[in-house]
Amino acid sequence: MKKSFFRIVGAIVVSVFVLSACTSNADSPGLEYAPDMYRSPAVEAYVDYGEVRGRIDESKKTRLTAMTPPPFAIPYIGKDSVEVRLMMPYARLANESFKASHGMYQDVLTKEDHYAAASADGNMIVLNDKNAEPILSKGKELFTAMCQHCHGEKGDGNGPMVTSGAYSGVPNYADRTSLSDGQMFYSIYYGKGMMGAHRSLLNKKEIWTVIHYIRSLQSPDYGKFDANGTAVVADTTKQK
Amino acid sequence: MKISNIQQVTMANNLKLLVLLCVLFFVKHTSFAQGEGLFKSKCSSCHQIHKNGTGPMLNGARQRWVDAGEGELIIKWVQNNAALRASGASKRAAAVFKEYGGSQMTVFSDLTDDQVNQILDYADAQPKEDPSKAGTNVGSQDPNATQTNEDGGLGIMWIILAVLFIIVILSVGGVRRQLKVASTGDESYNQLTYWDEFKTIAWKYRGITGIVGLVLTITILVVVFKSLYSINVMQNYQPSQPIAFPHETHAGINGIDCKYCHNSVTKSKHAGLPTVNVCMNCHKQINGEGKPFAGEVKKIYAAAGWDPSFGPAGGYRNTKGKPLVWNKVHVLPDHVYFNHSQHVVVGGIDCKQCHGDMKQMKETAKVLPIEELNKVEGNIKLSKATLTMGWCIECHGAKEVTIGDGKNAYYDEIHSRLKKNKTLYKQYLANDGKLTANELGGWECAKCHY
Repeated sequence: MKKSFFRIVGAIVVSVFVLSACTSNADSPGLEYAPDMYRSPAVEAYVDYGEVRGRIDESKKTRLTAMTPPPFAIPYIGKDSVEVRLMMPYARLANESFKASHGMYQDVLTKEDHYAAASADGNMIVLNDKNAEPILSKGKELFTAMCQHCHGEKGDGNGPMVTSGAYSGVPNYADRTSLSDGQMFYSIYYGKGMMGAHRSLLNKKEIWTVIHYIRSLQSPDYGKFDANGTAVVADTTKQK
Repeated sequence: MKISNIQQVTMANNLKLLVLLCVLFFVKHTSFAQGEGLFKSKCSSCHQIHKNGTGPMLNGARQRWVDAGEGELIIKWVQNNAALRASGASKRAAAVFKEYGGSQMTVFSDLTDDQVNQILDYADAQPKEDPSKAGTNVGSQDPNATQTNEDGGLGIMWIILAVLFIIVILSVGGVRRQLKVASTGDESYNQLTYWDEFKTIAWKYRGITGIVGLVLTITILVVVFKSLYSINVMQNYQPSQPIAFPHETHAGINGIDCKYCHNSVTKSKHAGLPTVNVCMNCHKQINGEGKPFAGEVKKIYAAAGWDPSFGPAGGYRNTKGKPLVWNKVHVLPDHVYFNHSQHVVVGGIDCKQCHGDMKQMKETAKVLPIEELNKVEGNIKLSKATLTMGWCIECHGAKEVTIGDGKNAYYDEIHSRLKKNKTLYKQYLANDGKLTANELGGWECAKCHY
């Protein structure tokens, strides 16, 4: 009698444990039988190495993810000298006031007005009748991913962010035709006004490519060449 | 109807008055419309009406200059702030310049005095919106709302029911036995254990017991095998993240491209998580004040080291902030190599092929079950479970690849060879009429395992 009672209680306890294993907790990864496959000795990004094969190492626990590269880091570009020249560190410095407004604490800052000086810079990628089409289509691709949600598909400052009412104060490119390529680069690189720095999203080559595309939004004939190979719209890159 | 002279005079006067009123209204209206147009084209990229931004808010700007005793100088400030500061005639000019950390206002020498006044009139006339009513269209759902786990509650109910059922069965059995003892007077019934009694009954109805036993055994085996198969298949793993991020609002309502935040997807193996400065590109302005997601935005501010009360419009403090720790959702075993950029740039695969339509996803991402992915418009329809090898292989056999467009040197080389070898090319096309990834080596083991 007693024995059977324990048997029944035991069965109930076991079934409770089995059932509790079936509840779906989205926070738990569940049972794994090969943890070393998931946290391999070869280090992978974003993986928490605080626990490998049951050993817990507090010093290796992930404490931060998604950080920008350290300041002054120059990425490996390759051996093509034209490409490498494009990727060399930007000579213009951010203004001291950018410290508080754009969070540039780790940068070398200047008291001089490098934004004004940037108007002397021309676009480092020079368009000609052969490369114009691929550069502008690449520019469009980048613009769609990086700029379009605020600046709008046509650059009129009416992107979905603005029309949804979430964000305001995006200028129309048509009002900024006097802006030089160099100043555009400076604004994208360091940010300007409410717009943040986009250098962690776009590298220097990509910024110059996007600027070409923005110019083509401002004047539809930009990047088109006549039969002699001269630009229909005067090339603003050699303005000064 | 005859109109007397006096009536005519008053009517004429009335008409004059009406015309005058019309003209006045028109003048006022056009001046307003001009002020609005000027504000939008010249000022709005730095100034907001009711909020300090890159520059101070324009509502009440004139009054602030009047309060400083320099009411007439605001016109000069707008037209050429650099000259006004250099002349040293205005204390207010120097103060504003310093307050905004020395960031320079653009010179608008093309604006006339009237135009500046029109802008300021327009700014002063705008009523302040009630923040509690404003912006109901963006992120109206509360990301903090706790989801009640109905499954857990039901599970406990079932367990309680099962225990009650067992108690009832045992009590009925006990009563039945007592009745038997009472009716037959045979005390030996009391000596029997429940197990003995079960055995006697089971033997009595052995046909039914056999069938029930067989069914039970098969059921248990199936359940055990199914649960063993679910080990390491973490289909419902969706860990909570440091910030309750609604993809629906960002990618859906606000139309931000996936590649803006996950920008390393075109360059690297990983799609990448946005660094906090990317969040701040928009959230410097969108602080969620008075909205349910304000608490989540505060977490971004803490991570970025941004202080909304620092300076006139908020600013970065000289701190690194408190880094966010996002939880990785999908981890492939280390013997599998998967590269996002190869698939997105060279393969030209849309994010939704594997991640589903993120524009409608309320929570943070994970790869969806295959049935869900097949519902997404434009996806290649596949049958194998997501994140299994069968899934990869199936897609590699179905996805058409464009080669020879200069996106990948390997495919360009294949393209140049296929141009010479037309018979092989026809052979590739013979099966399904297209060039799929597997025909270009997408099924070679070493493509993913090395």
